[in-house]
Amino acid sequence: MSCKLLIAFSLAVCLSAVSASSCSNPKLSSTSFTTLDGTILTNIAYVSQFKLSCDGEPADIPLYAEVGGKPLSVVKSKETNEYVVSWLEETKKAPRGNFEIKVYDDEGYAAVRKAQRNGEDTTTVQPLGVVILNHPGAYNGPWINSELAAVIVAFAVMYYALTTKTKLEA
Amino acid sequence: MTQKQKALSKEEEILLQDFSRNVSTKSNALFYGNAFIVSAIPIWLFWRIHFMDLLTSSPLFLIITCLSTYLVSFAYKKTKFVLKHKVAVKREDAISREISKMIAEDKKMNKKEKDERVLWKKNEVSDYEATTFSIFYNNALFLAVVIGLSFFLLKSFSPSFNYILSVGLSSGLIALLSTGTK
Repeated sequence: MSCKLLIAFSLAVCLSAVSASSCSNPKLSSTSFTTLDGTILTNIAYVSQFKLSCDGEPADIPLYAEVGGKPLSVVKSKETNEYVVSWLEETKKAPRGNFEIKVYDDEGYAAVRKAQRNGEDTTTVQPLGVVILNHPGAYNGPWINSELAAVIVAFAVMYYALTTKTKLEA
Repeated sequence: MTQKQKALSKEEEILLQDFSRNVSTKSNALFYGNAFIVSAIPIWLFWRIHFMDLLTSSPLFLIITCLSTYLVSFAYKKTKFVLKHKVAVKREDAISREISKMIAEDKKMNKKEKDERVLWKKNEVSDYEATTFSIFYNNALFLAVVIGLSFFLLKSFSPSFNYILSVGLSSGLIALLSTGTK
């Protein structure tokens, strides 16, 4: 009898754990930030902050993220109940445009890892949601830097001086 | 021989002087003044852009600026001498036409006087044009080479070496180019 009770209790615990980690009707609302001034920085930061709600209720489950096949950790803030995903790129290599951040829960991420291990296509695994992060591109200083502009002007004047001299000597 | 030399008139001496390699004191002052200014300009570049300390590097600045002033003024003089003749030949017709027009009414003036006036005017015009152009040409060349060397070719050098080499090479180059006879 006590053995049956123990089994029923552990089943109930397992079920509640499963139901806690799964999320039905997930809704993601996000805000994002990227570095816009790259003149004195070596790296560009991409930060996306989002809230997840399951059935209209704020969710509190561990999440995982993936951007362009690269796994990223998701941090959760206890104060604001928001999730944060961030990564860095070198200023010169930092791409611009829209980034799709695929958000997975435990099960989804396990399926992704499994697919990766088996060499299968990970796109078949449905993410919990997709957060879009837009990076319009960082300002890396003027198109022509000042020394190049100075050299161009100086050489233009020198060219004029040389041609005038040639004409005088002709 | 000495008698012949003495026989040279004052006008002839002036004329000889005008077409000699020696430049007048006024011209010399103009050349040295300009050469000093243009040689001192790179100091600002190396002080503000390449972050050389003005006080500790002042002996270096002084030596290189003096050397550069001498070389640049040398280039001015040489370029002026070469150009003066070319300009004189180019402007000869226009000047003689202008002078003829101006003194056409003066019947008293004989041909010798007319020729002298044309020669004097020609000398004045070519001297002025050659002086100003020589300054412009050498300045343009000097500054372009200094900027090109200091910002691109000698970029990886320490600022002091960069300064010595860029200013020294630039002034040396224009002095060398000015010695060409063409």
